[in-house]
Amino acid sequence: MSKAKAALSIWDKIYAKYQTDAGKMLIHTGTIGWIMSSMAQIAAIMMNDKVSKEQKMFLIPQEFMDACVNILSFYFVTRSFTGIADKLAKTGKWIPSDVKNHLIKNGFKDLIGKFDFNILKDVKLKGAPLRSFELHKNGLGLIATTIGSIISCNIITPILRNRYAAERQQTNIARMNNPSPSIQNPQTPRDRAKAAIHHTYMQAFMNRGNLKV
Amino acid sequence: MSNLSVKPFSSFARRTAKWVFDSLPSMELKKGKVLNGIKWAGQHISSPQNRVILGATALMSQPFIDLYNKRVDEETRKVSAARTTAKIIAGTTTGFLVRYYAIKAVEKFTQNPIKAEKAIESFFFPKGIAHTTVKGLQQHKFTIGTFLSLGIMLFTNFAIDAPLTKYLTNHFVKRINEHEKNKLDKEIAKPVLSLNAEKNNLVNNSMTSSYIPRVSIEKFKNGKGAE
Repeated sequence: MSKAKAALSIWDKIYAKYQTDAGKMLIHTGTIGWIMSSMAQIAAIMMNDKVSKEQKMFLIPQEFMDACVNILSFYFVTRSFTGIADKLAKTGKWIPSDVKNHLIKNGFKDLIGKFDFNILKDVKLKGAPLRSFELHKNGLGLIATTIGSIISCNIITPILRNRYAAERQQTNIARMNNPSPSIQNPQTPRDRAKAAIHHTYMQAFMNRGNLKV
Repeated sequence: MSNLSVKPFSSFARRTAKWVFDSLPSMELKKGKVLNGIKWAGQHISSPQNRVILGATALMSQPFIDLYNKRVDEETRKVSAARTTAKIIAGTTTGFLVRYYAIKAVEKFTQNPIKAEKAIESFFFPKGIAHTTVKGLQQHKFTIGTFLSLGIMLFTNFAIDAPLTKYLTNHFVKRINEHEKNKLDKEIAKPVLSLNAEKNNLVNNSMTSSYIPRVSIEKFKNGKGAE
């Protein structure tokens, strides 16, 4: 397959997948955006010459864990909202009157709004009812995705993030104030190594600021 | 074994979901503002507008979540809220502009091959699809533009977002500190003013309560008290 043909098939696939599903597109691009943004944060730490190797060993996994919480919260919460909206549209639970009339005329009255009913698969919609249904499904998906994103990104994530960061802050302050005797007065090479790691850890904590925002 | 234990549960969960779903009343959307609004949103709102909506709602919620985070000290709360606000402003502005112009750029290269003068103008057009619709193509442009913008944002995250967030955070923290200093100055001045007024009333009964002498806050702060 030539390069041009391979490129064409990508556009075809994208068209087929997202042409009537704006909500799904927003979830997928949003998740990729979150992953890339987190990767940028991690790359920024890796390329920062002012951060020592030992500090990087602490900061990179921490940033990675932070990113995981953000991405999972965004993906699962938003996806649930989009899934519900999709189900409401596909089963005919929330449906435009012109599409409903078309379904009643074609003998689907008893199936409208039922869990296992799928308008796209069970009914061969064509013309105006199909266009109306697609516009409705697309709009409903987009609104649900936006609401889901607001709840996950602007409410759930900041609350979880703050809780996690505050716990880390308290743990670190406690460690800083009460280091173990072996760290305070290292005698053996092993204790000296532990003390060095403790020092690096505390330095990283102090340099980083208290909250990930 | 694991399949045996999972299957009855998933079957039970499905049956419960089905029962709940089927029990809910159906809703028929007649032609009107709600239905038109839903359809309009599906056609016209895409990732740039979505980014603005998310940014605006983020400004209304996230700084307050940080400010009322009782688990950390007051200073941390202030810096945290300032940084959150800065990050939202920087991220939303860059995010919106990059997405908007990426979609605009993609539009120029998604023309119908029949109408396009040069082959490059139909580069993103889904040529393998037998029947494309105008609305489907519009959504296609939004999608490609958004994917393209994600690539661009790999650079803008470093080049614009990070320095702008840092600059705005410092600016906001400075403003908060100035505001708090002014507030503190006023609070210090209040008891001195009332004390002076009382003193003057005792000395000269003919003076009205509206008379408030000038007070040197600096002298009070330096421990010399009011004049």
